[in-house]
Amino acid sequence: MGWPVLLLLALCAAGARGLYFHIGETEKRCFIEEIPDETMVIGNYRTQMWDKQKEVFLPSTPGLGMHVEVKDPEGKVVLSRQYGSEGRFTFTSHTPGEHQICLHSNSTRMALFAGGRLRVHLDIQVGEHANNYPEIAAKDKLTELQLRARQLLDQVEQIQKEQDYQRYREERFRLTSESTNQRVLWWSIAQTVILILTGIWQMRHLKSFFEAKKLV
Amino acid sequence: MGDKIWLPFPVLLLAALPPVLLPGAAGFAPSLDSDFTFTLPAGQKECFYQPMPLKASLEIEYQVLDGAGLDIDFHLASPEGRTLVFEQRKSDGVHTVETEVGDYMFCFDNTFSTISEKVIFFELILDNMGEQEEEQEDWKKYITGTDMLDMKLEDILESINSIKSRLSKSGHIQTLLRAFEARDRNIQESNFDRVNFWSMVNLVVMVVVSAIQVYMLKSLFEDKRKSRT
Repeated sequence: MGWPVLLLLALCAAGARGLYFHIGETEKRCFIEEIPDETMVIGNYRTQMWDKQKEVFLPSTPGLGMHVEVKDPEGKVVLSRQYGSEGRFTFTSHTPGEHQICLHSNSTRMALFAGGRLRVHLDIQVGEHANNYPEIAAKDKLTELQLRARQLLDQVEQIQKEQDYQRYREERFRLTSESTNQRVLWWSIAQTVILILTGIWQMRHLKSFFEAKKLV
Repeated sequence: MGDKIWLPFPVLLLAALPPVLLPGAAGFAPSLDSDFTFTLPAGQKECFYQPMPLKASLEIEYQVLDGAGLDIDFHLASPEGRTLVFEQRKSDGVHTVETEVGDYMFCFDNTFSTISEKVIFFELILDNMGEQEEEQEDWKKYITGTDMLDMKLEDILESINSIKSRLSKSGHIQTLLRAFEARDRNIQESNFDRVNFWSMVNLVVMVVVSAIQVYMLKSLFEDKRKSRT
């Protein structure tokens, strides 16, 4: 009875290898993913609640939900869904740019949350990292060589998409720089002209004023 | 007699479990390299934790992409709480540590800034993670059929592996370049906004100042005139 249970526990513990952070009650944490268009993003998360009495994190918390909201670069909401204490969310980008993934818990069990801390394990996979190759192998019935070649092709395709997106961003960047440059130039000229004109107006106005007052 | 039959059964059950756990059914298997970009509001500190096995290598690279000053405090602590790295007001950094078992904590601290929020990009590269690495790469149980070739399959697989690792490296470099470009673009956009704003302010100030000058002078002379009779 001893070692099979230990093996099972070890297998479960092996899943707890990812990055985690602590989040307060109803606190919102947002992550920005800058991605090209037509790219799939898969996010996995797992939550653990702090048990104040035992001073330890509980392995799982049924009833504790997380709300996931994804916004596209224009601010439009792409995904807004409630998941359980453990969840997996997916979305595909249709415009290139900065997508914002926000997570917050909306716990209904205020009393249990007295410790005020929630541990969230998060993993976000973009593009070809999001592909599940074992599944693809089973679905398309691929040999090992075919599967590996398919993976390489996906990798190269993702790099190519990123490069195209880089080109589009660099163009925007260049336009902004050139516009700034132009504005600086025109403003300096305009400033000089305004100063000269103001100076002339001042002198004329004062001169006619003094002449009117018979001081000059 | 009954004991001998009973014991192998849970073992068989456990042997059947790994294929179910591996494709990510319950408790996902996180990847070895991950990057995140997040916004850190002014006056706040945010910490992340990464569990590590023994003798693996943890490389963390961070960059500040946006926010006045483009700097942040960085702090990396070992599982015992010992500070491994403490940097103040840096705009980017790379650190590699050889790990012990436990959760490494790294924090980004924006408490020195009262008004500007920072956008921070960080990337974690994990190496020598041991059996987790092999689990993810072992596709032999999912394939169907065999390949018939002149060349030895192992040679082909070896060159495929080398292509894959080089492509991963290209991907990493792309991520880095993307972060650099995002930072430069944010700098430029803030320059643009600044130029616009201060030009407007300059124009208004000039006009107002010249008008004030003229009217003040006028008012000075009007009083004097009256006293002169």
